[in-house]
Order: sequence, then C-alpha cells, then structure tokens
Amino acid sequence: MKKKLFNSLRGLLLLTALVSVLFPLVWVTLASFKTPSQLNDPSLLFFDPNFENWLYVIDRGILDAALRSATVATITVIISAIAGSTAAYVISTYKAGGNATRFGILAAQVLPPAVLVFPFLTLAYLTRVNDSLLPLIFAHLSFVLPVVTWFLIGFFDSVPRSLEEQARVDGFTRFKAFLLVVLPQVYPGLGAAVIFGFTLSWNDMFYGLILTPSRSAILPVSIAGFNTFRGVELGAMSAAILVAVVPVVIASFFIQRKLVQGISGGAVKF
Amino acid sequence: MGTVSLKNVKKSYGSTAIVEDLSLDFPEGSFTVLVGPSGCGKSTTLRMIAGLETVSAGQVKINGKDVTDLDPKDRDVAMVFQNYALYPHLTVLENIAFPLRATKTPREEARQKSLSVAESLGLGHLTSRKPKDLSGGQQQRVAIGRAIIREPAVFLFDEPLSNLDAKLRVETRSELLALQRKLGVTSIYVTHDQEEAMTLSDRMVVMKDGKIVQLGSPLEVYTKPNSVFVATFVGSPKMTILRGMSDGQNFTHERGSQFKFPSDITGPVLLGVRPEEIALEPSNEGQGRIELIELLGPRAVITVSLGESSVVAVVEAQKLHNIFLGSRVSISFSTISAHLFSEDTQLRLN
Repeated sequence: MKKKLFNSLRGLLLLTALVSVLFPLVWVTLASFKTPSQLNDPSLLFFDPNFENWLYVIDRGILDAALRSATVATITVIISAIAGSTAAYVISTYKAGGNATRFGILAAQVLPPAVLVFPFLTLAYLTRVNDSLLPLIFAHLSFVLPVVTWFLIGFFDSVPRSLEEQARVDGFTRFKAFLLVVLPQVYPGLGAAVIFGFTLSWNDMFYGLILTPSRSAILPVSIAGFNTFRGVELGAMSAAILVAVVPVVIASFFIQRKLVQGISGGAVKF
Repeated sequence: MGTVSLKNVKKSYGSTAIVEDLSLDFPEGSFTVLVGPSGCGKSTTLRMIAGLETVSAGQVKINGKDVTDLDPKDRDVAMVFQNYALYPHLTVLENIAFPLRATKTPREEARQKSLSVAESLGLGHLTSRKPKDLSGGQQQRVAIGRAIIREPAVFLFDEPLSNLDAKLRVETRSELLALQRKLGVTSIYVTHDQEEAMTLSDRMVVMKDGKIVQLGSPLEVYTKPNSVFVATFVGSPKMTILRGMSDGQNFTHERGSQFKFPSDITGPVLLGVRPEEIALEPSNEGQGRIELIELLGPRAVITVSLGESSVVAVVEAQKLHNIFLGSRVSISFSTISAHLFSEDTQLRLN
C-alpha cells in the first residue's frame, strides 16, 4: 500500500516535470506551423500545417545567423578543448597553483557578464573588430574555457600517474606521453566537455546582443529580432527558436550521463 | 647491456631527506634488489635512475654516460611498475609494440617483433585483447614484454609482483629470474619483501631511512647481518633478539636464563638466533613455555615465552607430538650460528 502510494507520487512528479519541459516545446513547434489567425487560438491542436513562418525566417537570414553561431561555438570549443585539456591535466597532475586553482578557475563565473562585456566592447572598438565574430569568440572563451577546464580536471584525476611515467620511460617526451597515452583515457570526458561548451556558447545571448548587434548577429540575437515595434511575430519567432533548440536537445541527450560524471568529480573507472 | 652507477646521490623534498648520499655501482648483467621497509627511499632511488625524479645532488651514470639531467626517454631504460601501467586503450600487441613507436621502427617490423615477444611470453593467443580483459598474471607479462622489446641497457622493476596472489607471485618470480638470466640485462629491482629479494638477487641492498645499511649477496646478508635492523628485517619468521650479558663462557639472559656461549666478547650484548637454529626439548625444568604453535605444513613456527621476551623457533612438524601449548621446554642453539650485536650501536660484534 505504502509502496503503491510512493509509486503513484513518483509518477505524478515525473509527469509534472515532463509536462513542464515538453509543453513549451510542443507549443512552439505547433506555433511555428500556424497562421497568425490560428495563433490566436492556443488550444488549437489539429490544423493544416503552414510553412509560411519557416520560409519567412529563412528569408530573414536565420540560417546565416545559425551558421555564425555555429562558427563562434566551434572555434570557441576547439580553443577551449586544446587549452582546457592541457590546463586541466597540469592542474590535476602537477597540482599547478595548488588546490585553489581547482575551483578558483571558476571564480570569473560569479561576475555578472555585464562587468566583462563593456571591456570587451571597448577593446573591439579600439582594434576595429566591432560587430564581428572575433570579439564574441573571446567573450565566449571567458566562460567556456574555465568550465571545460574545470570539467576535465576530475577526469584527469582518475588517470593513474604511472601511465604518463611509463610512456616517458618507453621513449616519449612529456607532451607526446600526454597526447598518446593520457589524453585517450579522457576522450569520453573530453567529448562531453566539447558538447557542453558548444551549447554554452550556442545559447549565449547577452554577449551577442552587445558585441554583434547587427551585421553579424548570432542566432539568439536574430531570434530576439522578431520582437519588432509592430509586436512579437510569434509564428516566425517559434520557427527560429526551433532552429536554435533542436541541436541543443540532441546534444544534451548524448552528454547527460557524462555531465553527471564530470560534475561528481570524474568518478569514472578505466 | 649496461652498467649503472650512482655517485653521492641525494634526494630531498624541502628539508626532508628521502635519500641521503647514496653511492652504488650496478655491474653489467647483475640482478640487484633494493629492499627495505616502506619509506626507506628504495623506490625513489629507482625513479631517480629512471629519470622520473630529479636528483637533488650527485650523479647518475648509465653505461658511463652522465644522465643526471636527461629525460627518461634518453636513458635507455625500461621499467615495470607495480600496477603494470598498461595503456588501457591499446591492445596487448599495441602495448608491447608501443616503445617501438618512439624509435620510429617500421610498422611491419614492429609488428613481427612484438608478435614474437608476445609468443615467447605465452601471450600469443591474447594479442588482440585489451588489458582490462586479462588476468593479473597476464597483465604482468604484457608489462614485461613491453620492457624487453626495446632491448634496453637496464631493466627497472618497481615491486612488479606485489599485485599478484601468493602462488602466482612465486611462479612469476622464477620466470622473471630465468628471463633475466637468458637476456643478461642489468636489472634493478625494488621490493619490500625480503623473501623476494633473497630469491631473485645476485646482490641485495638493504636500505633504511634513505641509506644503505648492508650490501652483499643474499647469503651474506642472511648469515652475517651487520646490524639488528638487517638481522630482524631479513628472514621469516624473524630472528629472535635477546638482551643479556656475555661473560666469555655463557650468555645470561636479562631474566636469568643461562645459555652456553663461548665468545671473546664480554659485557652487555644483544644475542640474535635464527628460528631454524633453535632446538626445543620438552623438559619440566626448561626455561621457556610454549605460547603459540603455527603449523605451516612440513614445519611449524613455535613461539616460546622466556620471561618477558619471546623466542621464535621453527621445528619439523614430526617433532610436534611431544610439544604442547603451555608445556615447558629447554631452549638450545648452536653457538657458531648465533649473532652478537652491541647494545648501544646495534651493530654486529662477532
């Protein structure tokens, strides 16, 4: 009896969570296929899908914006993976900077982005790269790189030190030993860190809004562009939101397990 | 083939000295075992030879060449770690062939060579497995295969058998010895297990607190330990040490028991006797009382209390029929084999 009650409570809780996550997604998906008049009736579930919104957002350059976002996220994540994995390894193995570095590396995350964005903007103007992707990549590195590094420290912790030493005795330099022997042990973690870092960069709107306001607007900024002086273009915005959300949902699906491992200190056994 | 020589080597972390002023030569083809309790600096010494630890002072030479400041890769040594340190992402064959990648050996040649090494170690049927799918003994062989494929000047072993179960350890020990004899490569082996040290080595180096306390053949170290520390560390069960007085004719134990022991040394001494050299005879007037009997099969270890100290003896199992727990026994030992140590310096006197 008690167990039954517990089970039904658990089911109820899961249902609530599921609905709260899925409802907006379902609503947005439906809205993206509705005409403006159909949008006035949120309860309308069955209707002839209309592709006007999709054609409109494509015409407005949403795919170009997505490409720019992808470019920024990819470059950010490649730099983060290279710098982050080497940094995490040194922090884990050689205790570089002592234990303070382990968590201190995340210290910048407590600052509101507003503190950093104006220095970035000023620098971008000074170096005449404003409204281009370059300052945005730097801005994104400021939060993606520390997170990727921190995430990987736990994974490197679980690689026995003797592996690197063995490779060095086997005739390799310290860097080669890292590359050929140590790094392959954390590939699963590195993969998760890369996807995680990618979504962080992909989802950022704040830096994009200020550093790439017009010419090279990234996806979240373009989406916000559908909030016009004539009002919110709901249907178009819904289609644009789906363009932004679907890759992230797919990515999260692949990394959710590794994400927990990374956060719980890389308790992975090799 | 190679020689190794350590000259006044020191290692310290801050003000803590791990290895103090160590000088030692390892002749070509020798099998030297560094043995001592944990924390005695034996592993650090080995790691300094490998180049994995820096040397605080002194010089390390391999084949006459000063390698003190060289990277491990430039020292031409191979090492087997306690946990084997097999590369988890590579197969058995790739693990064995790995050192050949560093020397840029052509792929096919490396393959052939590693296959024949795997074959010679009885790993022929496992070449495509990953280390996690091997037993401890097989993993150990892969580690050895990876060490021998390079034909290095020196083999370094850091407690390579301690992760194996007792039976496998004894088997692997003899295989390792046979392999070393066959290849004739200078080997330096670190262990805390004195039995392993005695069975394997041509030369045994007993270390304590970062210093060498005795160096010699296993037989020398066993039969002529130069201090109480070596005497009690080497040999199992442990040598019995009794405190007392020697008057030239007899040794009188501090609790009054007297043993015939002619020697030129008089005064307060420590007397050491190996368990196998002690004879026990049931006797109502005996000095000792049986406290513990541990049967090991053909032999039994018997602990006899003598006042507040105890004497450990090893006797043949057949003789156990007249020895009982709590019964009194007289203790005797051969005077030739007994060891005398100074009470102050703990060093050997006779």
